[in-house]
Amino acid sequence: MTDGTNAVTADRLPGPLTGLRVLELADEKGQFCAKLMADLGADVVKIEPPGGQQTRAVGPFLDDIPHRERSLSFWHYNTSKRGITLNPETVEGKELFRRLVTTADVLLETFPPGYMPSLGLGYDELSPLNPRLIMCSLTPFGQTGPWRDYQTSDLLQLAAGGQMGCCGYDPEDVPDAPPIAPGGGNAWHIGSHFAYIAIMAAVCYRDVSGEGQYIDASVHEACALTTEGAVPTYIYTGNVVQRHTGRAAAVEKSEPTQFITRDRAWLNTTRSGFNLTAARLRRLAEWMDQYGLAQDLLDEKYQSTATIQANVPHIAAALEHFFANIPLEDAWRGGQEIGMPWGAIRSMAEIVHDPHLGERGFFVEVEHPEVGRSFTYPGPAALYNRSPWRISRRAPLIGEHNYEVFCGELGLSKADLAILAESGAV
Amino acid sequence: MTLPRALAGVRVLDFTWVRAGPWATRWLGSFGADIIKIEWPEHLDILRSNRTTIPPEIEPGPNAPGQFADTNINKLGLTINVRTPRGLELIKRLITISDVVIENFSSRVMRNWGIGYDVMQQLKPDIIYVSMAGFGHTGPNHHYTTMGPSAQALSGQTFLSGLPDKPPAGWGWSYLDDTGGMYGVMCVLTALHHRHVTGQGQHVDLSQMTAGITLTGSAFLDHTANGRQARRQGYPPGNRTAWPGTPPAPNYRGPTVAPHNAYRTKGGGHNDWCVIACFSDREWQTLVDLMGHPAWATDARFTQLSGRLQHQEDMDGGIERWTQTLNKYELTEKCQAVGVRAMPVQSAEDRVEHDPQLKARGMYAELEHPLLGRRKVQGVPFKFSKTPAEVRSPAPLIGQHTPQVLQETLGLSLQEIREGYADGTFWPKSMPLYAYIEEALR
Repeated sequence: MTDGTNAVTADRLPGPLTGLRVLELADEKGQFCAKLMADLGADVVKIEPPGGQQTRAVGPFLDDIPHRERSLSFWHYNTSKRGITLNPETVEGKELFRRLVTTADVLLETFPPGYMPSLGLGYDELSPLNPRLIMCSLTPFGQTGPWRDYQTSDLLQLAAGGQMGCCGYDPEDVPDAPPIAPGGGNAWHIGSHFAYIAIMAAVCYRDVSGEGQYIDASVHEACALTTEGAVPTYIYTGNVVQRHTGRAAAVEKSEPTQFITRDRAWLNTTRSGFNLTAARLRRLAEWMDQYGLAQDLLDEKYQSTATIQANVPHIAAALEHFFANIPLEDAWRGGQEIGMPWGAIRSMAEIVHDPHLGERGFFVEVEHPEVGRSFTYPGPAALYNRSPWRISRRAPLIGEHNYEVFCGELGLSKADLAILAESGAV
Repeated sequence: MTLPRALAGVRVLDFTWVRAGPWATRWLGSFGADIIKIEWPEHLDILRSNRTTIPPEIEPGPNAPGQFADTNINKLGLTINVRTPRGLELIKRLITISDVVIENFSSRVMRNWGIGYDVMQQLKPDIIYVSMAGFGHTGPNHHYTTMGPSAQALSGQTFLSGLPDKPPAGWGWSYLDDTGGMYGVMCVLTALHHRHVTGQGQHVDLSQMTAGITLTGSAFLDHTANGRQARRQGYPPGNRTAWPGTPPAPNYRGPTVAPHNAYRTKGGGHNDWCVIACFSDREWQTLVDLMGHPAWATDARFTQLSGRLQHQEDMDGGIERWTQTLNKYELTEKCQAVGVRAMPVQSAEDRVEHDPQLKARGMYAELEHPLLGRRKVQGVPFKFSKTPAEVRSPAPLIGQHTPQVLQETLGLSLQEIREGYADGTFWPKSMPLYAYIEEALR
């Protein structure tokens, strides 16, 4: 139990990855992995090409004004990092990069397979400079195999990875519906989660052994591993699951789990058929009765499992009618209060007012001095009672820490830095 | 030569069940930690009682479900009744010799058993305790419970999947059980490194539902910074980046481009689909070349991105007439050979049997299971140069390793173990013992 006193004390403590230096040469595929580390205290130095990374050109933009310093997507994925610019294709850029590698614990890169070695910056070249280095290449398909050089995108990964094969509609809801790729950029999230655990396993090994190593991580394989029971269903039964609206893809047709509420929003009841026992049905009916909508469900005859099973369509219709006549907030919270694992299908508008999240410190204000405002960012998934998560700074401006890193840490003079900037090396 | 394991010597006391928690400890096991999975036959793990993945030729029972077998590789199975004084005493002794305790119960279960974090800390001051409750252990709704689908709904994940003006399509599996599991591993490894550096353990209080919200960051900031409502015309835009005929707005997946959609391929089956995306006018021209310059595609309406976005219906119809002449793998190869972004929509069967990349990378190796026989198992998505992550051992039969674990970790004698079976500590008195347990007790 994390008690309140602990939480207050913990606010002043350093994060669990404090002292770990991470060099990030990652675009949309891996920047989330490095954000996870940076918010937990790692010193992540994001290395962008001179002029800034193309991830800065992805919307939405603040006030819908496109600008490389106003991408909300870039802001979200690059919190707590420092930012430098460097062109590793120049002689000077390579040399600076090699010097940075000697100071790093982790190097995360998402370039096409073969690119880093072609610059003389592959693991085999970098490891002798720093044998403790952990280098992770996170790429769409891995470093080997017939697809390793294929072009990709979030949509393509979700198709090949199996996500789309599981998501879509019942024909009754949308005839001839395509498979659906859920939004939000989740192929990159999935890849970044697996890269994070691989890197941290290597860090834990290095804590004990002192040795670094190389990790070849594949987004495609990570996605292929993220469809729950679909693959075991095939391996053990030979069956392929079919898509259903808003619920588990399955071999057999199943009952709906999404219900519209009075305010035209949707409730998700998790399980097809409500998983009803006599006791659960009684609790449900008593609750429905408070709204005068229990119909005949309080009748003693429903206290028998056989009667429940014989009347599933009737009970489902009564519940559907009940949900259609109460607000979403009543429906999901009322269900939870009587032990049903139900959820509201929320949009951001509902999430940002959730008092539970507020009490867990989820809504984090981050200052952006350049625009004279602060903005509310999503907070931590998990609370570490002795080493808290925090956003230590907003995403870096382009080259914001060039002086701090190149002059302050690597010892370049301002004049050196100016020449390198003019020549396009930084 | 035996290669080292990244987490060799790390002992994990694993109270997790169903999917999210066991998926987390599966990965700790693949990195070489010793995972002791605690179970009790009278409160079976739902994956042990769900029959949908039992092979037709195998007699149903708690050791038969394929989904349990795939989720629980690399673990030892211990049955012990935590609700008895003797069982609780032994669990406490196990905590004193463990590095990590992990569970995904609702928020009050461990405390009710008498092994809340305060007790664990007394037993093992540097213990790492990761709890994986739906809403976490603090906050006014900590007693609420979630399964993957409700966590997805509450986190905003469900809302961002689907076609405009249709019900949410959501996720066709418990994405936040898979991903909640990933966060469980992340918490353990992060806290383990912290302990290596500081000597301190801690309680990491993960919330499955909250983890889902952190994956909607662009939409979150678009709301908090720009005030944009997600409930709007044309959103979510299905597989497209923008829905034609609706006001332009961000899609939170990446740049606004067209084409960017799913298209039917030859065969007409449930999964005979591909996806194609063109991120530039040049990529579009390459696709037009590849399609053989059909008259419709050379229309000036489609030359530039703005026109392609506006006329997506006509464009997608034209593209689909072409994709339907090819099977999805032919199409992928033809497109990728000239640099057009295309991929097949793959079912589980496709991934296991037809995906040349997963085959080349060795994703589905075989493993011998004592009841289910030799079966393919989902592998690992990363290759380590020094400490390979592995599929080492099949999922435990229920209670399979109880005598072994008690002897090896706590030094119990065979006599003491037999007494525990006789008094109901290690197996319910009302249930018959499996032959493999009787064998181990001889």
